[in-house]
Amino acid sequence: MTINMGPQHPSTHGVLRLELDLDGEVIKNTRPNIGYLHRCFEKYAEKMDDYSKVVPYTDRMDYVSAMNQEHGYVIAVERMLELEVPERVEYIRVILAELQRIASHLLGIGTFGLDLGAFTPFLYCFTEREKILDIFERTSGARLLYNYFAIGGLIKDVHPDFKKDTAEFTKTLRPVIKELNDLLSTNQIFIKRTANIGVLPEKVALNYGASGPVLRGSGVEWDLRKNDPYSIYDRFEFDIPTGMGEVGTIGDCWDRYIVRVREMEQSLRIIEQALDSMPDEGDVTEAVPKRIRPKEGELYARTETPRGELGYYIISDKSASPYRVKARAPSFVHLGLLPAISKGALIADMVAIVGSIDIVLGEVDR
Amino acid sequence: MGVTIRHFFGPSVTLQYPKERMELPKGARAKLYVNIDDCIGCNLCARACPVNCIDIETVKATDDVDLGKTSTGNPKRFWLTRFNIDMAKCMYCDMCVHPCPTNCIYMVPEYEYSDVDRSNLVFHFSNLTPDMVAEVKEKAEEEAEQKKREREEMKRKKAEARKKKEEEKKKQASTKKNDKSDDDKPSTPGKKDS
Repeated sequence: MTINMGPQHPSTHGVLRLELDLDGEVIKNTRPNIGYLHRCFEKYAEKMDDYSKVVPYTDRMDYVSAMNQEHGYVIAVERMLELEVPERVEYIRVILAELQRIASHLLGIGTFGLDLGAFTPFLYCFTEREKILDIFERTSGARLLYNYFAIGGLIKDVHPDFKKDTAEFTKTLRPVIKELNDLLSTNQIFIKRTANIGVLPEKVALNYGASGPVLRGSGVEWDLRKNDPYSIYDRFEFDIPTGMGEVGTIGDCWDRYIVRVREMEQSLRIIEQALDSMPDEGDVTEAVPKRIRPKEGELYARTETPRGELGYYIISDKSASPYRVKARAPSFVHLGLLPAISKGALIADMVAIVGSIDIVLGEVDR
Repeated sequence: MGVTIRHFFGPSVTLQYPKERMELPKGARAKLYVNIDDCIGCNLCARACPVNCIDIETVKATDDVDLGKTSTGNPKRFWLTRFNIDMAKCMYCDMCVHPCPTNCIYMVPEYEYSDVDRSNLVFHFSNLTPDMVAEVKEKAEEEAEQKKREREEMKRKKAEARKKKEEEKKKQASTKKNDKSDDDKPSTPGKKDS
């Protein structure tokens, strides 16, 4: 029997439609249907008459981690222009990107728990995420789609209390992560629903081009912040958490989940180090070029977003607008490996699997 | 149960929305506002907009009127006959706010302006009445016409002067009858007018 899951299903995270071939309750085959949220990002980027006008559109790719999306694009264009960015800007960018990573993981974990019937952790996560969004709102003026990173700098300076607010937040989040671990990670019902479910072996993950927490959940120590450092990530000390199969097999849903939880702690470490060494003075807009005309050529720049490797491939033809912008979206790749890991699972487990790969449909469809 | 009872007596964490409101931080992106008295009609905001939601039409002020200066000291040279912002199109990216030389376009913390009719979301900021717009346009056209005529007149005069000079040169050349002289310059450089 074939049934449709989605496009409006409470647990498919956006408008994703899955066609499931079933044998009783066991899934024989999964066919993801995408495109419900297609907004022509790549075509729009070509149409814009300025490189900087593409930045607000990158926000709308992965709207859960908009800062990281901007970071990737901005870095790509800066490399094309061979632009040197002020020290202070780099620190602010890293702090914001890591805050955004925490916010995104909180949402991912919260909704993952919600899908499996745990409502309380969801509220805990959202309370904390709200604090991050408040920091972002005071900094950039927007709560979800910031358009805060400009090519060569930031559009304006951070608010005066930025350092204090962020330091305060890092202090309050640690106990919450502990609480979250008690509530969800070691919860027997949660473990029963996620351990040994949707196992993604290391080899399959590498073959499919998985990245981010999905790849690390399978036990591969791969993080672009360490393996191919961009911005100033090489100055910070942090670990790469990987899945170890503590409650089941390596690469199951629980492993992918716990990698996210542990990554939040690592992000906090990065934020604290960055806050300590961040310069207080400096103009954040001084390196913003008036005219952006990169040399003829092409470039691929990749960054680590909460979901994995986000790459921007940009071709320039010397004009003011990019000739081509291609986005390599991690969610799209991870959706592709859904059929491989959902074979033989039950329909109820499908919910856990989709939740554990934490896709954002805005990025899948672009 | 103890937790529940404790929360009864603690401070409230929610706001009774329409009666109470959260205060937006400085620079929050809500609704665009234009201080039209400070606008110099430079069009930079409209050009910075990725979605083209700002529609500006300017008419050059005639020589006999002085529009004064903005509060930042920039001279105003244009009548702003149209300054519309379509908030239905706006994506709140803040990109129009930063290039403004007089800081006259900015976001104001007003977020309750939803409407049933989309055309009501086009906000008009020009303070000229339709009659004034027509008058200003007519005046500007007249002046432009006059200036055009003057320019043409100037051009004609210049051309005549040049012709005269050339003729004189030719005359001189023919009277001198010298082959080595540089008579291959038909007109003097730098006199071309555009």
